Amino acid sequence: MSKLGISRRTLVQGGLGLTVANFLPGTTPFAQAASMEESTIAAAKAAGATSVNGMIWSPYLVPMQPVIAEFTKETGIGIGAVQDISIFDAPQRAMAEALSRSAQFDFIHIDSNMIPSLASAGYLEPLDEYMKKANFKIEAVGDYGSFMTYGGHTYGIPTDGNVHIQYVRKDLIEDPDNKKRFADKFGKELKFPETWEENLRLQEFLMDPSKDLYGSGNLRNRANGVTWWYMIYYSAGGFPFDDDMKPTLNTPAGQYAVDIYLQDKKVNHPEAANWGTPQMIPRIAQGNVVSCQYWDGTAKLNENPAKSKTTGKWLYGLVPGSDFSGKRMHRSISSPLAAILINKYSPRKAQAAYLALWLGSGKNSIPIVTDPVNTFNDAWAKEHMASDAVKKAYSPAGVKAIETNFQVVAPPIYLTGYLEFQDALGKNLSEAYVGQLPAKDVLKKTEDEWIAIIRRIGQSKLKNDLASYKAVMPKRDNPA
Amino acid sequence: MAVAALSAAEAPPQASPRAISRQRAIRRFKLSLLAPLIALFAFLLVPVLLLQLYFSFHQWTVYLSSWWDADYVGIDLFKEVLTDPRFGWATLRSLAFATSSTLGCFVFGFMLAYLMKRPFRGQAIYYIIFILPMLTVPVVVAYTAEMMLYQSGPINDVITRLSGFEFKPSWLSNPNIALMTVSLLEIWNWTPFSFIIMLAGLSAIPKEPVEAAEILGASKWRIFWEVELPLLRPVILLALVLRFLEAMAEFPKTWALFQGGPGSATETLPVYIFMTTWQYFQISKGAAMSYIVMLMMVVIVLLAIQLLRREKRSLDKMYEQSDEPIAGA
Repeated sequence: MSKLGISRRTLVQGGLGLTVANFLPGTTPFAQAASMEESTIAAAKAAGATSVNGMIWSPYLVPMQPVIAEFTKETGIGIGAVQDISIFDAPQRAMAEALSRSAQFDFIHIDSNMIPSLASAGYLEPLDEYMKKANFKIEAVGDYGSFMTYGGHTYGIPTDGNVHIQYVRKDLIEDPDNKKRFADKFGKELKFPETWEENLRLQEFLMDPSKDLYGSGNLRNRANGVTWWYMIYYSAGGFPFDDDMKPTLNTPAGQYAVDIYLQDKKVNHPEAANWGTPQMIPRIAQGNVVSCQYWDGTAKLNENPAKSKTTGKWLYGLVPGSDFSGKRMHRSISSPLAAILINKYSPRKAQAAYLALWLGSGKNSIPIVTDPVNTFNDAWAKEHMASDAVKKAYSPAGVKAIETNFQVVAPPIYLTGYLEFQDALGKNLSEAYVGQLPAKDVLKKTEDEWIAIIRRIGQSKLKNDLASYKAVMPKRDNPA
Repeated sequence: MAVAALSAAEAPPQASPRAISRQRAIRRFKLSLLAPLIALFAFLLVPVLLLQLYFSFHQWTVYLSSWWDADYVGIDLFKEVLTDPRFGWATLRSLAFATSSTLGCFVFGFMLAYLMKRPFRGQAIYYIIFILPMLTVPVVVAYTAEMMLYQSGPINDVITRLSGFEFKPSWLSNPNIALMTVSLLEIWNWTPFSFIIMLAGLSAIPKEPVEAAEILGASKWRIFWEVELPLLRPVILLALVLRFLEAMAEFPKTWALFQGGPGSATETLPVYIFMTTWQYFQISKGAAMSYIVMLMMVVIVLLAIQLLRREKRSLDKMYEQSDEPIAGA
């Protein structure tokens, strides 16, 4: 160094100066690391140009198309043949593909709760290596990214958060007359409900069937109703299996959840027993519902004045919790959580995987989750929560509610055989809701059916799965 | 000599070369018609049936191994299915649904066919209108019905206005009437099928017995009850059997509207088999169930064939009797 005429002190000072300058705003770093998106492009280019085929429901695909077009321009990897199958029918089709070890689809877009079943059937390609090559991370809010993992591997890239948030009619609970009547009747303030009991009381108090205004907009049909039951059950401190994979539904927490679940009948529309989203969402947006827990995408619809009569009339927040376990606990739910999974048998799995990563970057997915017409893809990434476009689509309060609920979001049964476990419970809850089964028998009957399922799938296999299930459960009782 | 003469007399007449060639051509034609069906059966249906048979005797779980490693379990799966209360209820629901919808389709189809029996002006337009429901895709029927059958929907509204009293059944959410709702939709959807068959049957009734009854002064009702109806019995039986088999397999409307719910009110055999196989992924149990249902259907078809043959024999006998010359004439 002295030969060059530069002293050690000068060199150290110069180095420090450059390091500091590197962090100053407005200065250009000498060697900037490639962004996640750039790394994905580079890895995809190396995999080679091709067209990938997949199974995806068109309302999900349409808002992705401009983002895919950009990827195609950069890498030559595009979309080929697409089977337009509803997310609700996709599990059956995917399992048929798995049984036949078919290479027809390079990717499938499906409820991520199917990951354990499809991975166990040998259909899924782990994405860890691709993510490493592309320097990619699932930057989801809270622990939500872990929903994509099973057995220590990542198998999916989320495209749709689908978390439940609480919806309460602001105009109704802030109405001075209602406030006074409520205070007179209950000696309490009419406010945003924090527990299931408060929520029921509020719904019952504000409903007015003569004006076609019902207290609840929750679903209670056989296919979806069970989703609501999980929220209540988890928030009461319940978990459906012990460490030995014995069902633990028929417990005080389980009975409490059944009781709250069935009380919804008092405040919901008389036809709710068979209503799904096509019936309920319009009722929420058109002002026929006081309060409910619902998928976050409905906030986009509510806040769209062209489609909703209730724009600006909603409060959004955390779903109710429970003190049943002795401490206040809140649990939201995400189901079906739409994600892109890659077929292990596909000859183009690398290209399909990189396309999935491209679509799953926080930055790239902003236009996807804010599409005003095809509102199926809901916000989920940390980057979404700070985006103005997302705030505009969901309203700032809506985004805040999404972020809050993500911190305590849980999955439904995250095990191999998920659909079977879920339908047994859903069927029995539905039977109780319509009076075909006494409420006290729901959990006993479900446990008996679950024991048969466990025996068939294999107790030891499911015990292994249990670790993945517990790993995706939220780590905190309440949002920060 | 006498024996030889007798043998020659008893021997069938030698067929001419032309007749033999004709018979061969007919046989070839029959074979050519049947060949695609035989090929379809041999290469497509038989392998599937065999695979299904394999699954119904082997317990296989999709999550653990390849299907050829499945454990042989003998008739355990059949026992499991036959002692499964859900399967029993599903069978009862399917039978109730198929019986009610078959009878409904038949009654309305027959009435329409009877109205259309004699040609009249503009008959073709009515014909088209009557068969339109059959041309509607069942899923479309289901979704259209869903929009119309809400408690406050147009159907209840129209009935309320016409009748003057409040008519508010919950077609889609009351478990006590949900299956009946699908049954009514099935009747609407498939009455044209019975209509077409019955119209063909009515057109094929020979005029002579009817004319003879008219000459003898029989009333219209008596002609219908004692002449036309007996002559139509084979056609009626065919219409009922075909419709019943089809109704037992009804899936799209039931699934699109109810998915087995509310509760388990519409969990019919096809719905339960679908759920077992493609929702629970119990391929082996689903295969065993399918075989049991298939055997049930085979028994029904065999009984129907037996009945049809009996009807045909009795009709043939009736015609033979009517052809016999009257004694002393």
